[in-house]
Amino acid sequence: MTDRLAVHGLVRAFGTDAGVLGVDLTVRPGEIHALVGLNGAGKTTLMRMVLGMLRPTAGDCRINGRQLAHLAADDWARVGHLVEHPFAYPDLTVRTNLLLAARLRRIPTAHATRLVEQALIELDLTRYAEVTARRLSQGNRQRLGIAAALQHRPDLIVLDEPTNALDPAGVILLRNVLSGRADDGAGILVSSHHLDEVARIAHRISVVNRGRLIGTLDPAATDLERAFFALVYDDEQDHPR
Amino acid sequence: MTPALPTALHVELRKLTASRVIRTTSVMIVVGITVLSAALTWSATTGNEQVIAQLGPLADADGWDLLTGVAAQVTAAGGMLAFGVALSWLIGHEFSDATITGLFALPVSRRTIVSAKLLSHLLWAVLVAVGLTAAIALTGTVLGLGHPTTDVLDSLGRQFVLTVLSALIATPAAWAATLGRGLLPGIATTIGLLVVAQVAVIGGAGAWLPIAAPALWALQPHAVNAVQLALVAVVPAGFAALTLAAWARLQLDR
Repeated sequence: MTDRLAVHGLVRAFGTDAGVLGVDLTVRPGEIHALVGLNGAGKTTLMRMVLGMLRPTAGDCRINGRQLAHLAADDWARVGHLVEHPFAYPDLTVRTNLLLAARLRRIPTAHATRLVEQALIELDLTRYAEVTARRLSQGNRQRLGIAAALQHRPDLIVLDEPTNALDPAGVILLRNVLSGRADDGAGILVSSHHLDEVARIAHRISVVNRGRLIGTLDPAATDLERAFFALVYDDEQDHPR
Repeated sequence: MTPALPTALHVELRKLTASRVIRTTSVMIVVGITVLSAALTWSATTGNEQVIAQLGPLADADGWDLLTGVAAQVTAAGGMLAFGVALSWLIGHEFSDATITGLFALPVSRRTIVSAKLLSHLLWAVLVAVGLTAAIALTGTVLGLGHPTTDVLDSLGRQFVLTVLSALIATPAAWAATLGRGLLPGIATTIGLLVVAQVAVIGGAGAWLPIAAPALWALQPHAVNAVQLALVAVVPAGFAALTLAAWARLQLDR
């Protein structure tokens, strides 16, 4: 089966030591592939390239087998993402924000309205439906951003630090939602600082350091933190700054 | 799938109508310009010499000519500034609110999205122009200036066109807000355009400068010929094309 996402030799450098300096990775249908790394490791830059927010200077990126530059509207309609900040307009209510996010996937209004109601229930946002995003707590704004990324049932989901600002209930909710989407065949690329959290849902964990994938972690391993820092330490020894 | 441009226009109009900035700017243009024009007309009519001294070529006018002339003067500067600020917000808030990341990886292209933004700005400007023109007509009637003659109706028609053109010649603000990734570059550009227009008018070259010609035409229709007036279209067309190109090639690299 075609990979939901396939990245080969992707490069976008910022100076000599920052950015993404040649990354290969895949996300298969039904798979949650987690990226972990220290701040500035290149996780967000990689996700930005996958979503067309940054043009790579080298390498190849394909979504559902098709090169990024050749993706049609139909292909982009099957992608959902949340990178850095939730897609939430402060003056609009939660319901309207979700409706507009669905409409931007070119979904007819009647169908979009049904999807929004489902998303409000799925992310436990019903009681905030008529509250403007400006008045939401940071955690609920993050839930809104996650709902906007997932409500149209995309088959490639890209989430950058989705647990940011979520309370423990929100983290569990997100974990269940993502596992459910993967079970339905979606491929999910997710970045996180929280190793324990990632271990609970990811099928594969890749470690990013200084713009490269430097190894993988076994989600079933008992001491992920030690294994993570061992990989990063070895990489830093091999490539002194 | 729904068609891209109508979908994007629907989204942009929902955002525009919910915006506090746009609602406030609408009131400032319609109520602000009307109240200012009425106050200046009333002051000049009652012989306030300080106000009369500020009116320049309108100092000898009275009745409807004075009211519509003052309204055109105020609209030329204040209207353009307000429309420039609103357009800067329409573009710049996507960067300052960090919603710009949500406008990537969509089945609607960014070129289409920014086209919808410019269209929604134009539609809003037409509505504001209708409101402002109606408010000035009502004010003249309330001030007892008499039944509008054909000449007065022509002046009110030019007031409507001037208001819409003021919004169109603010289009460089959209390009500046895109390049500068925020509101302030757009607002600064609008202020710069205003200064250039004022200097050009004082220097006598206003009719040939597209950003100054609409105001001159509204005040003195015979001072601007058809070619000079048609040249006004160069500004919105040129800067809309630049803005579309900038959004199509946009990268979040800073």
